[in-house]
Amino acid sequence: MKKLICVLMAVAMLVSVLLLASCNGKKGDETTASTTTETTASTTADDKPQEVDWDGSYIDEDDFKAYVKKDLADVIDSMVGQATAEQVTAINAAKTAGEKAIDDAQTVSQVETAYQNAYKAVLDCVPLYSGLVSYVGESQDEKTNMLGILERYAVSLGITGLSLFENGGYVMYNPRITLGTETYIVGYGFGLLAEGAITADLDYETNPAWKRYLHTFEASDPGTLNYWNDQGAQVGDLFGYVGAAFFTNFMNETKDGYDWVPELAKEKPVAVNDDDGDGVCTTWRFEVRTGADGLKYSTASTIESRAAFNNREVALEDYEYTFKMMLTQANGLYRGSELANTKTGAIAGTKDYYAASATGFNEEAWKKVGIKTYVEDGKNYFEVTFASATTAFYCMYYIASGLYMPLPQEFVELVGIENLFGFNLDATETPLDNSLVLGPYMLETYDADQQIVYKKNPNYVFADTKYAVQGIHIKIFPAATTDETAGIKEFLVDHFDSTGIPQTYLEEYRNDPRTRKTTGDSVFKLNVNAFVKGISLAIDRLSFANARGSIPSVDYLSSNYMSDPENGISYYVTEAHKKAVEALLEDTDGYGYSLELARDYFRLAMTELEAEGAYTPGTEGNPTKISIEIAWQYPQHEQNYHNEIKNFIETAFNDNSVTGGKYELEVTFWVGTSWDKVYYDKLMVGQYDIGFGSISGNPLDPLGFLNVLSSDQDISQNFTLNWGSDTNDPDVYPIVYRGARYSFDALYKAAMGQAIVNEGASEAAVAIEYTNIVKNEDGTYTGSFTLTPTLKDITTIEVTDVVCCNYERYYNGDGEYAEEAVEFDSVMKDDVYTVTFTVPAALVADYIDGSGTSEDPEGLTGFDLYYTITIDGTPTDTYYSVQDYFVLDAE
Amino acid sequence: MVKYVVKRICLALVTVFVILSLTFILVKLLPFQRPIGDTSKQIAYFDNQHNLGYVYRFEREQTEYGELLYKSPSDHGRAYYYYQVPVMQQYVRWVGNIVTKWDWGYSKTYQPNVAASVIIGSRIGYSIKLNIFSVIVSVPLGLLLGIWAALKKNTMTDHSISTMVMIFISIPNFVLISFVMSIFCYNLQWLPSTWPPDSASGLTKVLGYIIPVFCLSFGSICGYCRYTRAELCEVMESDYLLLARTKGLTRRQAIMRHALKNAMVPIFPSILAEFIGILGGSMILESLYSIPGIGRLFVTALNYKDYDVLFVDMAIFTTISLLSGVVLDLSYGFIDPRIRMGAKK
Repeated sequence: MKKLICVLMAVAMLVSVLLLASCNGKKGDETTASTTTETTASTTADDKPQEVDWDGSYIDEDDFKAYVKKDLADVIDSMVGQATAEQVTAINAAKTAGEKAIDDAQTVSQVETAYQNAYKAVLDCVPLYSGLVSYVGESQDEKTNMLGILERYAVSLGITGLSLFENGGYVMYNPRITLGTETYIVGYGFGLLAEGAITADLDYETNPAWKRYLHTFEASDPGTLNYWNDQGAQVGDLFGYVGAAFFTNFMNETKDGYDWVPELAKEKPVAVNDDDGDGVCTTWRFEVRTGADGLKYSTASTIESRAAFNNREVALEDYEYTFKMMLTQANGLYRGSELANTKTGAIAGTKDYYAASATGFNEEAWKKVGIKTYVEDGKNYFEVTFASATTAFYCMYYIASGLYMPLPQEFVELVGIENLFGFNLDATETPLDNSLVLGPYMLETYDADQQIVYKKNPNYVFADTKYAVQGIHIKIFPAATTDETAGIKEFLVDHFDSTGIPQTYLEEYRNDPRTRKTTGDSVFKLNVNAFVKGISLAIDRLSFANARGSIPSVDYLSSNYMSDPENGISYYVTEAHKKAVEALLEDTDGYGYSLELARDYFRLAMTELEAEGAYTPGTEGNPTKISIEIAWQYPQHEQNYHNEIKNFIETAFNDNSVTGGKYELEVTFWVGTSWDKVYYDKLMVGQYDIGFGSISGNPLDPLGFLNVLSSDQDISQNFTLNWGSDTNDPDVYPIVYRGARYSFDALYKAAMGQAIVNEGASEAAVAIEYTNIVKNEDGTYTGSFTLTPTLKDITTIEVTDVVCCNYERYYNGDGEYAEEAVEFDSVMKDDVYTVTFTVPAALVADYIDGSGTSEDPEGLTGFDLYYTITIDGTPTDTYYSVQDYFVLDAE
Repeated sequence: MVKYVVKRICLALVTVFVILSLTFILVKLLPFQRPIGDTSKQIAYFDNQHNLGYVYRFEREQTEYGELLYKSPSDHGRAYYYYQVPVMQQYVRWVGNIVTKWDWGYSKTYQPNVAASVIIGSRIGYSIKLNIFSVIVSVPLGLLLGIWAALKKNTMTDHSISTMVMIFISIPNFVLISFVMSIFCYNLQWLPSTWPPDSASGLTKVLGYIIPVFCLSFGSICGYCRYTRAELCEVMESDYLLLARTKGLTRRQAIMRHALKNAMVPIFPSILAEFIGILGGSMILESLYSIPGIGRLFVTALNYKDYDVLFVDMAIFTTISLLSGVVLDLSYGFIDPRIRMGAKK
């Protein structure tokens, strides 16, 4: 998440079918329409597809059939690894029959029909899964396998876009710096601060005390180090120097990876309620350091009231107070709201507490939050309960953030939450005065818009063994915003200790002894909805990335993503990943580039497009023009990238050997004014052919990061890169795991927690229908809920309450959310539960009367159905809400 | 005269008000800055905007507040609906706070929670000093070069000066500073490549002024030089100067007593005009040289969309420019008694 905010954005795409169909072999009817919507053809599409015999096609009959059979083979290859022996036998038989039918076909459409029949026959060899399933407790290797299967699905359907390059590259370090390791450790770096050292003075620095500090720069001054209320990445990075977390990472002894180490904690998490001993549970605890262990706060403030907190011992309740401060809505802290509303690694009860603390700390509501501190047997414990079960590692990972660094309540109250780690209203107190830290460094100087200087914190837990670098000097250097060479110019005259290498300096300094190579945390990609395969193969990533000092990439996940974050193993090097992208690299230069293959796929595409009547060919002198637009984030992207990408694509397509000059492809561009314009003005509304962007997720949780590929908003949390494929359809592309077929959503949910699967698709535990209330003769109202469980055999439902709430009084009156229980009857027949409730006439009258507080009363009322659903012996309390209206007519 | 001065000042203030009002309204009318991210980020962002007073948050859908910015997912049948606070309502509040409390608002993103006027106050000193030094350097240099060129009219010296002036007046100062920095900071390493921090030594600070002052002054020097040369040449060809010479004054006496004095009438007001130009030019230069002044602050506040800071900065620039204009007009009267301000026909 480190770079999430600088995170550039993201993108998605509708998948063009025709090409995809030719790549994956099948043609989804639902997607065929999209092919021409964004391209400009000089002719209009016919409604009825035409049959094209081989004379009218751009590809040889044998070649065409070979490609189609290859796609079928790819589909089968994705299945057999997880299919049973019997299933594999059946698949092979279906494959043989299908290939024969393809060979016998006489026209393009007959080949496609034969392919679709073969595809269906192959899929039918593996049954769709139904039932309750959870793979959350599986080993990291199994999780990696699942990740590979899901990635292959996404790559094959083109949901991941066309990757261009990773944003890693080259970094130069001043020779006076000794790095922790000379080999870049994925997900950790070179260990400059924690394990490195500075062995000589910086002559340029005039302050003798700072000559051995690390000198670096930021383009702008964030004006605060208040990470709790920040939305970007810069403050997080600057706070990182002073923050301490329960757990941290240090380089391992062999200097080729890193270890997870308790920092504020004294031990790794220990399960509290792991009843079945599978290492997965909701509640975890660990011993934490306090003043008794010598843990003390630090500040360099000279203001008496602040200085009094220097060397103050950390108290156990300080750990809990930070969470209280963040989650109390009245404090208005951005990260608190985020913590309360997150789904990944959510802490139990935080959302309800946040809602209940709009006016200030709510002690009663806090009791239900899954955060506790207590002393047991003389030891200080921190206990956390998550909303869903997790492993020890992910417990450690979810709460290993500097955001949860303890703070004394008295200090926060003294400086004021609004001023915490920032300036006060009249700027007489700086972030130095308003911060209290436990991390490796502490603020020494904060000159707004000029410099931020940290010095080593003597009270840091590992002050004696780590962080030999005595301080960090950060120059505020706005020139870096407008001049990409400004940083390296300063570096070359020994003003800064490190810098990236801009494109114009790359040739000169790529092999300089001061230069090191890094990997990136984000992959920049083109998100396409037309000519997917052909365009992908037409781009020479190697030369494109090399010219820019970046890393060529065909991957959705950058090298920084860890398949085993606990042991520092990158997903990039796993067999599961290699298998997932194998098809993209086959017969290419190793980076997905092959001009000949690209032209073959363009021939294939045009053959199919014509067969479907989407295009009418022109003549050599008057070709049909096809226009594709690339949407770039910034003008400099267009200047730096467009012509080269345009040239790659046009060179491949417009070669006379592709369509004999009957079509001419033109690549145009659109440029945004800010990075999010591509997402909102182009991709999100479907007005694009190709959109440029990148997205970074949590590098320690690549499986979780796949959520943005789902078409289910509940999974993607309304931030999707997929507006095309239905990822809950198990037939779009086979996902086989342990002898059964799943949809993308179903396997994703099972891997992340628990999935209720019906015929391969993920479904809700229970389908609920509400029948509107009707007024009875006696003035009462009657309504009903019908609950149909998805997994009837293993599901029981017990309705515990039906309540109603006068929303109009709530919205327009006192604002208090008051619920009143009403009578209900629950009947189960044929595994369907019907709950009928009755609202007494007196209550209705009161409600209508209460609605009088509204200027425009409508009788709006909310009904909540509270029930306990027990699936396979595991009960879960939940509720279902609806809104309805009492009749307000005069009687 | 007094009435005229008061009238001009009032007009300037009205102009400031109109400019600021238009700026406020137009900036606020820009499309709402939407967040990117999942549900938790969306809610966090809009709650934050609500706390800052930029958006309304309702628990029911509203029809009278315009376009719905965001609707949070339903929880217990309760969802939040976010709408933008009307721009004019923000404007009225803003003006009211300034007029009644001299409260220009607080920084929201650039230096969160700090009063915008405090932020400006802590940076204006750098810009003012820089601009004053630039004027101090550019006026004598420009005048001297102009006089020298005029006295050596149509000689090699004049042609050289005029050519250099034409070249350098055409180069924007942000191009010039890159060039100068490349030579003196990165190649020769004689001067600091960025503005020295306040904690730097006295000598470093002095050296830190050289590049920005020089680059800010260059355009003005050329301007003064060209103007002075033209005026002086015209005066020196006038009949009264010829008369002065025939009266027996030496060339030096004629120039010092008559020519220069008359040539300065249009030149002195131009100093104020150049000051306004320097102020605008420092906006880019301050960013390039990392000077923590209000010029750089303007650009930063714009990038951060920190509008309260932006408006105060805008007010400073506008006020200085307009008041300089007023002083400029008035100065004509002081320099040349023949010009009467506000006199009735």
